[in-house]
Amino acid sequence: MAGTATMLYAHPQAHPRRDACLDWLQMITGACLVIFMWCHMLLVSSVLVGPALMDAIAWFFEATYLVQAGGPVIFVCFLAHFILAARKIPFTAGDQEIAWTHARMLRHRDTWLWMVQMVTAMFILVMGAIHMWVVLNDLPITAERSAARVASGGWLWFYFILLPLAELHVSVGAYRIGVKWGFISRQNRPKAKRIELCMFVVFMVIGVGTLLVFNHMATVLSAGRGV
Amino acid sequence: MGRNIHFEIFRYNPQDTASIPRMQTYFLEETINMTLFIALTRLREEQDPSLVFDFCCRAGICGSCAMVINGRPGLACQTQIKNMPGHISLHPLPVFKIIGDLSVDTGVWFREMYRKTESWIHTRAEVDPTLEEARMDNAVAEEIYELERCIECGCCIAACGTANLRPDFMGAAALNRIARFMIDPRDERSEREYFDIIGTDFGIFGCMGLLACEDVCPKQLPLQDQLGFLRRKMGFAALRQIFKTSRPA
Ligand code: HEM
Ligand code: SF4
Ligand code: SF4
Ligand code: FES
Repeated sequence: MAGTATMLYAHPQAHPRRDACLDWLQMITGACLVIFMWCHMLLVSSVLVGPALMDAIAWFFEATYLVQAGGPVIFVCFLAHFILAARKIPFTAGDQEIAWTHARMLRHRDTWLWMVQMVTAMFILVMGAIHMWVVLNDLPITAERSAARVASGGWLWFYFILLPLAELHVSVGAYRIGVKWGFISRQNRPKAKRIELCMFVVFMVIGVGTLLVFNHMATVLSAGRGV
Repeated sequence: MGRNIHFEIFRYNPQDTASIPRMQTYFLEETINMTLFIALTRLREEQDPSLVFDFCCRAGICGSCAMVINGRPGLACQTQIKNMPGHISLHPLPVFKIIGDLSVDTGVWFREMYRKTESWIHTRAEVDPTLEEARMDNAVAEEIYELERCIECGCCIAACGTANLRPDFMGAAALNRIARFMIDPRDERSEREYFDIIGTDFGIFGCMGLLACEDVCPKQLPLQDQLGFLRRKMGFAALRQIFKTSRPA
């Protein structure tokens, strides 16, 4: 028997539920980050309504210590999510070649979306970490300080790159969770794809608008100070 | 007058040490109602008797003619040339062992799949062959039949990114097989026993939800819905086991 079986592998596992637990954690950390990103967008884009609103929201989160406590929690979630998801990323040169050849051969949207998730993840890992470090080391958050930061140095470009990467990753990730756990079925998959695309477009528009407002605010503020 | 179809076909004979993998070009005039199976048969009969490919039923039932057609795994006998562009490239299915040119060995893979999933009804019930078979609810029978329609062509495996990266990933065909026995009231396997088969990264937790399997299956099996169902079921099975074992006896 063993002579004919070409696919006999031994998979010793100290903990029989290890993979199940890791899969749960990957999904939960991912879902937390998706929800966080939506809330985060609400905070940041509130400046579109008025700087006073953004200041008020930021003040609320700081007075209740949600930023001081939540910030590091999100940071841990962020790193944990990366480590968990990295289990499935083809990191070796050989595996990379298999993955890209396969995606090019198949010309299949969902397979390409996975490649998108893989690539955006690498950039978000570095840029998201820099961003969180800078913002959390410069509390309190106010519209004026954010505006000054966005307009200084290369930060505007930094955000113009991070924004689409993060929004792509978040909307594809949300869709993927739905597919994997069966919330998205064969029947509602076309609708889910449309929602995924809408989500991406809406958040991009809000995000770009926010960045432009920050940039404009900074110009007005520095002109007001006669700089 | 039909089109003059330009074929590019993968050629390789692993038995011949001098053979190197290459693409070979053929031209063939399209005829009415021509399928890819007919085209390949004519190429072999009229132009190149050394061309190797598999077929048997030529009606989408046996699953032996699966190959990569313009990048997508599919059945040659179910591919109408009139729906195809004038340039067709053909490759053998990846993941499986190549026999020659477009022919791969899906048999060994699927036998191993039967063994891993223990693809038979596990029951302690004594069957009396003289009696009428026990009746099954029609709705359940149809649900099982829907998943039984798999022709074991291997398209879902060849299209799966995970299966291409990890040779020991079970793939949609095997996971679908487990789902089929789970809904069969005659199979007495417990949730725990199913979990031991598919509750790892080589089973349902290895699936990345890319849905290529769903999108290429020539029999349109509801693979996406089975994968979602299994992940939820096995995910909750793990939680139940954890909370049961951590409770004091
Ligand atoms: C606790 C963690 C975080 C806090 C407190 C925070 C806070 C902020 C603030 C105040 C801004 C306005 C610009 C600035 O002040 O520099 C901003 C913008 C931005 N953040 Fe975060 N952030 C956090 C985590 C993240 C993460 C994890 C990501 C990406 C994965 C991210 C992506 C972005 C993007 C793309 C923008 C630009 C959006 C826009 O203005 O259109 N942030 N964030
Ligand atoms: S599930 Fe579909 S694609 Fe996969 S082996 Fe069965 S019939 Fe072929
Ligand atoms: S959904 Fe899962 S089984 Fe199907 S192709 Fe994707 S990774 Fe493979
Ligand atoms: S020859 Fe049987 S499925 Fe194509």
